[in-house]
Amino acid sequence: MGKHTMIRRAIDKKKSLMIGVLSILVLMGFYSLVSHWQHQKNPDDSTIPTWTQLGQGVQKIIEVNPRSDERWIVVDSKATMSRLFLGLFFGVAGAVVIGLLMGCFTPFEAFLAPPMSLLAKVPPTAALAVFFVLAGTDTRMYVAMISFGVLPTLAQSIYLAVKEVPDETLYKAYTLGASQTELIWNIILRHIMPKMLDAVRLQIGPAMVYLIAAEMVVGDVGFGYRIRLQSRLLNMNVVYPYLAVLAAFGFFMDVLLRRTQHIFFRWYTHGKR
Amino acid sequence: MAKDKHQAFKEDIVLECRNLNHWFGPKRVLFNINLKIIRGEIVSLVGPSGCGKSTLLRAIVGTHPPCEGDVMIKPRDSDTARVVTRPGRDRGIVYQQYTLFPFLTARENVAVGLMLDQTSLPFRLFRFQSWRTMKKKHLDEADALLNTLKLGESVNQYPHEMSGGMRQRVAIAQALIMKPSVLLLDEPFGALDEATREELQKMLLTLYGENTRARNEDRTPPYTILIVTHELNEAIYVGDRVVALSQHWDHKDLGLSGHPGATVVYDCMSPVFRPSEAPDFELFRKQREMLRAVAFEARHITDPNEHVQFWQEYDAREGWAGNL
Repeated sequence: MGKHTMIRRAIDKKKSLMIGVLSILVLMGFYSLVSHWQHQKNPDDSTIPTWTQLGQGVQKIIEVNPRSDERWIVVDSKATMSRLFLGLFFGVAGAVVIGLLMGCFTPFEAFLAPPMSLLAKVPPTAALAVFFVLAGTDTRMYVAMISFGVLPTLAQSIYLAVKEVPDETLYKAYTLGASQTELIWNIILRHIMPKMLDAVRLQIGPAMVYLIAAEMVVGDVGFGYRIRLQSRLLNMNVVYPYLAVLAAFGFFMDVLLRRTQHIFFRWYTHGKR
Repeated sequence: MAKDKHQAFKEDIVLECRNLNHWFGPKRVLFNINLKIIRGEIVSLVGPSGCGKSTLLRAIVGTHPPCEGDVMIKPRDSDTARVVTRPGRDRGIVYQQYTLFPFLTARENVAVGLMLDQTSLPFRLFRFQSWRTMKKKHLDEADALLNTLKLGESVNQYPHEMSGGMRQRVAIAQALIMKPSVLLLDEPFGALDEATREELQKMLLTLYGENTRARNEDRTPPYTILIVTHELNEAIYVGDRVVALSQHWDHKDLGLSGHPGATVVYDCMSPVFRPSEAPDFELFRKQREMLRAVAFEARHITDPNEHVQFWQEYDAREGWAGNL
């Protein structure tokens, strides 16, 4: 670090992008090197596949499988994404209602805060058996697990965001003629919306962990199922592309939500600078 | 000025605190506050730190009703006063901070009160076309008001894009557009620099000028303001009446063992200035020193009513005749 370097000194966008691309290239270079070493030791190795092997794996994923007559990537994406989005939808909807009730009305806060903080500490993957018993092993189980997995943490984040709305802002709205419902709908909800998006963004990762874990245990289709099956056969040239797709999906969702926040909540993203 | 006109002004009490007492557990904060504010007055409320100014203001807003006694408010469209039990659109409030909604632009912040007051949530959700027409009307009204406050250039700016002074002007516009019976200002200029502070003080004097014009033309004065401030110069400069609360008074004559809390120890008229006049602080040196001696020095005055002379002064001067 030069003597002119300063903590948090901004760099321009182009430079930042170039450094970002460089980090990916370094990662890929490091992988190539490790794969090369491994194949020098064992030319038939499939644990750290070469780029050619990976290409074959990708082909296997995207072309029609002769046994099932389906493309793996299509059926697995359909199953995993529908489970994930349904689970997130119900989880977010429930968390918004519970978080708002807790943040706005003290009796609800007293009633719901203790169970929410307790439930938030239970890892849904550890409670997998409970979901099997209560919801079977079909889509309902995955949806229930994701919903109940993200709900307590998300509800707590929303509750805290509501609590952060200054009292004076609420009093002011009352003096402007707002009713209770208008206060929640027009003032509180709008106030917490960007923070809510942040909370949802942070819950996508855990939701994917719960889902993949459940698919690995009981799934007959989906990303988790395919990764488990192929890793047992040591077909890592299929496993790695699947992991890359999951990472790309998570990254894309993150960017999408951040862009949404930037476009629709300019006051929040700019105000924070 | 005719006697009956003077009497009519005097009887138009817009806000009244009646035998108001407040405490927090064993700590007594306010004791027997009796205060009547005439429509069109700009009253400054001062007092030492911790004397309960903000507690009294919260009781008037209705967010923290008093433990004993009542706050009575006369809505603009009614001849009878009603007891304040919760915040309502007849009392506008401007705080030192958090006065604007951060997710709305200046014009939306000013128009939001009209929206909340004149339309309902189902109307806005289900009668979208009618709501759009109405919204445009509200925004036009907001633009007009912001223009008069010299904020025409900033109507589309968000609060974080405005300076502190601009934000407070928008906040005052937001409250004024509702035409409240009383506008309450809680140390509104406390966080501003000297020049901006002076500019906003002059804006309040302009409102006082409008009240005077209305009285001269036999109209109801449009602005009644209660401003809480810790700045004595500001209190005397912008107000036409200064009220001081203090906990430094001798309560032993009442036979009470513990201190019952702060009460009104000073209530007098103050000189009135035109916005164009530079504030001559020397002019109100005497009043400032009196206020300091009565309310701020911990030397326990024996009769808290000794300097509560507003009504006698008002009758002696025949109301605001001297200022018209």
